[in-house]
Amino acid sequence: MIKWFKQLDGILRGDATRMSALKEGRIETPIGGISVVTVFLGATYGICMGAYAVIRTGGADHDAYMQMLASAVKLPLLFFLTLLVTLPSLYVFNALVGSRLSVVSVIRLLIAMLGVMLSVLAAFGPIIVFFSVSTESYPFMKLLNVLIAAMAGVLGLAFLLKTLHRLVLVQEVIDTPQQFLEAVDEDQDVEDDELLTDNPAGVLDPVGEGTSNRARSVFRVWVVVFSLVGAQMSWVLRPFIGKPDMPFTWFRERDSNFFIDVLDAIAKLFGA
Amino acid sequence: MDNPPRTMKARLIGIDDLLRARPRVVVGSALGPRQIILIMIAFGFVYGAVMGSFGGVTGERFWQVVYSATKVPLLLTLTFAISLPSFFIINTILGLRDDFAKALRALVATQAALTVVLASFAPFTALWYASSSDYQSALLFNTLMFGSASITAQLLLLRLYRPLIARNPRHRVMVRLWLVIYAFVGIQMGWVLRPFIGSPDVATTFFRQGAWGNAYVEVAHIIMRVLGW
Repeated sequence: MIKWFKQLDGILRGDATRMSALKEGRIETPIGGISVVTVFLGATYGICMGAYAVIRTGGADHDAYMQMLASAVKLPLLFFLTLLVTLPSLYVFNALVGSRLSVVSVIRLLIAMLGVMLSVLAAFGPIIVFFSVSTESYPFMKLLNVLIAAMAGVLGLAFLLKTLHRLVLVQEVIDTPQQFLEAVDEDQDVEDDELLTDNPAGVLDPVGEGTSNRARSVFRVWVVVFSLVGAQMSWVLRPFIGKPDMPFTWFRERDSNFFIDVLDAIAKLFGA
Repeated sequence: MDNPPRTMKARLIGIDDLLRARPRVVVGSALGPRQIILIMIAFGFVYGAVMGSFGGVTGERFWQVVYSATKVPLLLTLTFAISLPSFFIINTILGLRDDFAKALRALVATQAALTVVLASFAPFTALWYASSSDYQSALLFNTLMFGSASITAQLLLLRLYRPLIARNPRHRVMVRLWLVIYAFVGIQMGWVLRPFIGSPDVATTFFRQGAWGNAYVEVAHIIMRVLGW
């Protein structure tokens, strides 16, 4: 387990996605360990979310503990299901535009992305618990959770795009014929060499100016799709927090959608 | 411990270094973590005690002094502890982990400095209490003192952060993010830990009855009421 956390730490610090680590044009992060740690972090945040129900009922209600358990199970599920739903179309379009990224590389990259997202979420856990302890307002808790999840999502997706950018750059270097590289060598101090150095930068650091690339546009569109699907998936899997006047259920009726409910929560918070 | 006068002097010089934002505060400082915590508790205690003396210091009101004195360091420590994990992870993702020890030292030093500034304001608060017995204005005056001390401490934090920002401009984003997270948690923490001053009409308690609640929800309701919705 500790080894897996170290692997995740490597991703967070950017060691695993350094230009030199991507030399072969593929990402080498192990899927299994990272997935386990990611599920664990997700469950941790789920427990923090469920804390609202437990604290509100004074810890005497059986239903509240069920809500906590359900959130711990459903939160990792939310992220992995979102990935599952968006993966087939990503694969198809990635192949259609003739990207050189293999399926395995794409999956590794996406699991690493989930690792980043859920680490951020779990790190906000203490703040959620603190507000759960002191807050009665259900709309406030809902909006706070949406805000934190959005933040985690943005950081994770930014990680994905930057890493992809690096992968494409590395592949351009690999694909360039050797003679051409040598010719460039004589003309100027090669930038490619710089690209492959052990640059101790963070995962979000921009590396070089990239040429436009169809594979990258596919991912840019996919990022938007992932956000929308994720938001709606959270709606399908609700309740996560547990509305005070409703009994515990694993899932709720099919009804409304995520975005309308967020607007509704904002209106309720202001007492309308 | 074998030479107490010297340690005491070193400690005072350490506090002076801290207020002047000398580089050694951040780079392996004259103040160890133990001293910093001691400063926080001692100076936080001083301001808290003065703050709690609004209703007098005799009889039952003595306990308000003790409670408030305990709560000021508690407020700062808890806020700090709750805000730290998210700050750590986002630092890591932005590639700033190698500087994290230095950033942490700057943050902790700022916490200590905040209490020192607050304690230096304590005489003002005492004077205010001596001249007016109006609870509302006492509340407002203390908010003003806390606000000024916080702004002063944040300016100090920015100075301590300057070498880090010079190393990597991304530290500027992080220091701003810290202020946002810390203020967001801190305001709610201050609300939860009420009462600090002790309303003259209410019996002395550590936590106020029914004070559990959310500061931001209250503010939203007040805004709505003012707008007449």
